[in-house]
Amino acid sequence: MKRRTKKLLRNWRIILLTLFLIGSIATLALKPLTFGIDISGGVALVAQTEHPVDTKTMQLVVDSLQKRLNTLGLRDITVEAQGDQIVLIKVANVTSPEEANQIKSVIESQGVFYMEFTGTVFGTGSDVEYVGIYKINPDNSWSVPFRISKSAAEKFAELAYGKKGWPVDMFLDPPVNSLMVVPESVYKAMNSSEFNAEAPEAPTLLERIGKAFNISVVAYANQSANEIAKLAQGKEKIVLVDVPGELQTELEGMNLTVRYVPRAQGESDHSLIVRVLGLYGPYSLGEGLTVGEPQQDVQITGSAPDRLTAEQEASTIYTVLKSGSLPVKLNVVGMEFISPRLGEGFRTQAIYAGIGALITVLLIVYFHYRNWKIAIPVASTSFFEVLIILGFAALIKWNLDLPSIAGIIAAIGTGVDQQIVITDELLGGEKTTKISRRSSVLKRMGRAFFVIFASAATTIAAMSFLLVYFVGTLKGFAFTTILGVLIGILITRPAYAEIAKYLLGED
Amino acid sequence: MSKSKSKSKPSTNSVRAKKQEKLSFLARMEYKKMIMYPLAVFVIALILLAVNFPTLGIDLRGGVVVTAYGVDANPDELGKYISDKIGVDVRVESFTGVEASGVRVYAPIGTDPLKIIDAMKDEYPNAEYTHSEVQPTFGEIAQQQGIRALVFAFLAMAVVVFLFFRNLVPSLTIIFSALSDMVIAVALMGLFGIELTTATIAALLMLIGYTVDSNILLTTKLLRRKEDSVERAYLAAVSTGFTMSTTTLGALLILWIISTSQTIDNIAIVLIFGLLADFMNTWVLNAGVLKWYLTREAARGGKA
Repeated sequence: MKRRTKKLLRNWRIILLTLFLIGSIATLALKPLTFGIDISGGVALVAQTEHPVDTKTMQLVVDSLQKRLNTLGLRDITVEAQGDQIVLIKVANVTSPEEANQIKSVIESQGVFYMEFTGTVFGTGSDVEYVGIYKINPDNSWSVPFRISKSAAEKFAELAYGKKGWPVDMFLDPPVNSLMVVPESVYKAMNSSEFNAEAPEAPTLLERIGKAFNISVVAYANQSANEIAKLAQGKEKIVLVDVPGELQTELEGMNLTVRYVPRAQGESDHSLIVRVLGLYGPYSLGEGLTVGEPQQDVQITGSAPDRLTAEQEASTIYTVLKSGSLPVKLNVVGMEFISPRLGEGFRTQAIYAGIGALITVLLIVYFHYRNWKIAIPVASTSFFEVLIILGFAALIKWNLDLPSIAGIIAAIGTGVDQQIVITDELLGGEKTTKISRRSSVLKRMGRAFFVIFASAATTIAAMSFLLVYFVGTLKGFAFTTILGVLIGILITRPAYAEIAKYLLGED
Repeated sequence: MSKSKSKSKPSTNSVRAKKQEKLSFLARMEYKKMIMYPLAVFVIALILLAVNFPTLGIDLRGGVVVTAYGVDANPDELGKYISDKIGVDVRVESFTGVEASGVRVYAPIGTDPLKIIDAMKDEYPNAEYTHSEVQPTFGEIAQQQGIRALVFAFLAMAVVVFLFFRNLVPSLTIIFSALSDMVIAVALMGLFGIELTTATIAALLMLIGYTVDSNILLTTKLLRRKEDSVERAYLAAVSTGFTMSTTTLGALLILWIISTSQTIDNIAIVLIFGLLADFMNTWVLNAGVLKWYLTREAARGGKA
């Protein structure tokens, strides 16, 4: 008996299992597991580019987003491109739904920044050389100082010569090359000197955006969708501002790009215009700037109803100026926010569920064989398998999310199945005579492992496609399933076969 | 050691023998019936699918969902309350788990999830809220990928099965069993109102792995059996299969009961559907086809 035990312990399969187990436990002790957003809490966003882009542009998008989110002071950000149109952004440690929404708006602002004067764009985001720390004042007004390039400053000095009190506008993501359909009152405001700072003689906002960005504005007077479509010929998109919503569906039905901006509750014409155009300003031109001297240090100011909003507005501008513009417009097409406290709950649940499932396996296997010598090795081999998968995940810093856990479950499930196959093959040959026993054990083991390899191969083949072709969350599922199946066929299954042979006396 | 060995082994074997005896009604079944019944179920499942295909979840269709944990409310009343307050029609579903229970509020895309949360916070300030939203355009991408993943995974499985058995009839039967398992599982999803989501697609993919497990076991046992009769080999296989399925079903059931995560819950329930279907498809349909095939081979004077 002793000799048999020694022989078992010296078996390379058992040694391999032991080594992996020790390695996994050590890894888990040294490197804690990292969890996905859906467990640790945070926000996961799926953004889609306006049109497919090449790998180089995609890389630019990823880098720029990473920079942008970093300036927001967030930790644990991953930005990952998938395919030619999808970017996956995961931010951990986001605690409130509001914070989640701010991240969304930062991603969605393409961040093309324009400085415009009398209908001429004299500088863009690439002219921004340095951005200072933004300031929030007690009255909830804010300012973001920055420095523009020499050439932009010179161009501006030339344009502004002698034009004291004229309006300077800054725009963030204005609807370039579009037709805007606005209510009568909004049209009038844009076509008046309301946005002219202290110079009624300067061109109106309507004229300035027309010249600088090719934006045409029409007042809505019950025009039909067809009429509007005709006016929009040659334009990239139609912006519907506070007009009946049915127009959107009708125009979209004609395959036109439409952006619909409803008026927020109690919003004035003025703030509606500012919002739609992404306008900051207009700033009145001080005398010092009108004498032809280039001035590089400038600032954007604004004001908000409360401190939190002021903080958000200023940090958005700061972020965009600092990180530059995105090469292509991104739309957030999917978003999921999980609060950290909830994630905590999922984690304990996963542990309970895991333990519960193992105990269930133990009991059901016992019920089938009425033999703890089978039930305990089956359940503990599964437990070892989980440990090794987790150890591996910790080692490569795989973020365990719910789909990954599902993958582990899948692997364990097939693992238990295969151990049962091995056990039954061993028990099945009871009636064979002693002489033929040894060869018959080998034969039966061979048959068991044929079943095991065939099913492992199919699972791996099926999951590999998922790993390669799928975008988004199911990658984790595919990865852990494959990992689990590989660990199963290479490490735990052969070891279990040895243990079972030993315990059932088939040696 | 040796004493306990001699004590436990007969008991294990007698339990096994009893189990085989209980399952022997399957072995006595005529193969025609064994093929006909599962096929009939498959056809019924197809009809069910045509009539009542499962609805697509918001991650495939687009929409907004707010989940509130720690809310115990009548879904209909809560739905009406929120709809009145924010002026958008919402649908409310409640769920329970071991530790927590709560509600999910579904709203059409374009609804601001923060508004729903605000409205609910008035009534349930202590609940834990999470929200997610998916644009229909992304839903479409996810749908295409889901279909692609299923098709490719299925084809990959088929190729590997062929390579392992190099035998047309048994391979085709395994592949058909897998297909039928999926079809039945999806039909049951429709029947029980479980949505088709990326998570349930994952479960269907998982099902491919499980299905193939049991089918390969049966096919191997019957085709590569050396000393036993077809019936004995079948009985040995079916008793192993029965142990496998019940163990997995038990573990999945526990998972389903404990978890409150919709992802895990849905995966568990779809797998349960699929495994039940698989039991029939493997041990009745596939076994029936193999019996017929082996009888025919034997009649032809083949090696079986």
